[in-house]
Amino acid sequence: MDYVGSRFPDFGPPGPPGRELTSAKIVVAGGFGVGKSTFIRSIAENDLLTMTALAPERAGLVTELVRIQFGRVWLDPGLALHLFVAPQWQDPRAGWTDVVRGAVGAVVLFDVMRPADSVDAMRYFEDHKIPYVLALNNVHDSVRSDVKAIIRGMGIAPEVPVLTCDPRVRLSVRETLITLTEHAKLDRWRRRPGPDETTPLAPVC
Amino acid sequence: MSSASDPKRRRRRQETPAEQTFADLMNGFSLDSSRKRPRESAPVPEPLVVVPHVPLPEAPVAELVPAELPDTSIVRAYAWTGGRTRSNIHLEIETLVSANDQTRRSAGILQAEHQRVVELCHTPRSVAEVAALMRLPLGVVKVLLGDMAERGLVDVHQTASAGGAVPDLGLMERVLSGLRRL
Repeated sequence: MDYVGSRFPDFGPPGPPGRELTSAKIVVAGGFGVGKSTFIRSIAENDLLTMTALAPERAGLVTELVRIQFGRVWLDPGLALHLFVAPQWQDPRAGWTDVVRGAVGAVVLFDVMRPADSVDAMRYFEDHKIPYVLALNNVHDSVRSDVKAIIRGMGIAPEVPVLTCDPRVRLSVRETLITLTEHAKLDRWRRRPGPDETTPLAPVC
Repeated sequence: MSSASDPKRRRRRQETPAEQTFADLMNGFSLDSSRKRPRESAPVPEPLVVVPHVPLPEAPVAELVPAELPDTSIVRAYAWTGGRTRSNIHLEIETLVSANDQTRRSAGILQAEHQRVVELCHTPRSVAEVAALMRLPLGVVKVLLGDMAERGLVDVHQTASAGGAVPDLGLMERVLSGLRRL
């Protein structure tokens, strides 16, 4: 199956033909009202969609429906990037599996006035070794350097990028996503050399 | 003698057709046929729009329950997949599916919900999008799309991270260059 870009003229900028259709996803997490939906709305093509799912980890509460918001943007004629809002639950870890599995990485939005709200998400991604960036929202210029120092002091891994981001500004969102993907790429090299991606120093047998 | 054996024979003759119909009846209750029945009886003229309006020929009990309750609509949606909650084909929420040319030509003879999926997937859509636009729970849509993929009604475009692995570097590079072009 090869899908030529011209077969789907409605989508995205024209790109090199013959590429297979595929998709990637990025998770946007953070505390309540920190700007997750705004973040996605700034870059997605259409308004956000909402899908419902049953929380799979909660076998006892079968009828509990979870709403997950997401947006989509075509990065080239064959590649759809999906941005999912990490759902908010009482127990934030329940039911994240479907959303997080196979993601490029995660953006944790961090309101500097309410730092405790985003700690759960940060801890989750640290524990599951999912690359993430910390995007500081609601930062005033005067306190920026102090805030970064304090966050560094919270004990997050030194390689995690910390940057400021205004979720309402498309360029700022784009910058955050680029930083995340670069970090995820580096992280992949550093942490998980797969069987077919041998390092240059590996002996040739 | 003959008068005594005749009624027996007559009884036997009467019993044989009765046994056959009883066997037929039992066959009607077997699991396989009950799963096929909705598919055969499903070609309904109007396309499927909302879950509560899905015609359910095999579950008349559910009709008695008020449709406003969210619980009932979940149960109904799963009854609609034959009670299954898993599909044989692995689908992530961001996996893209698209209708192929053959399906588009035969769209008229499809089951109502399949037809709706085919209409949606004229342009490639992710599993999450299909779930959101059809207003069905994710699990139901996964089963539905898995069925359709097995029957060749939709093409599934696997993600590079299928199977829960971390996306490969090639895909990340592509994401990166795509984001820079935005």
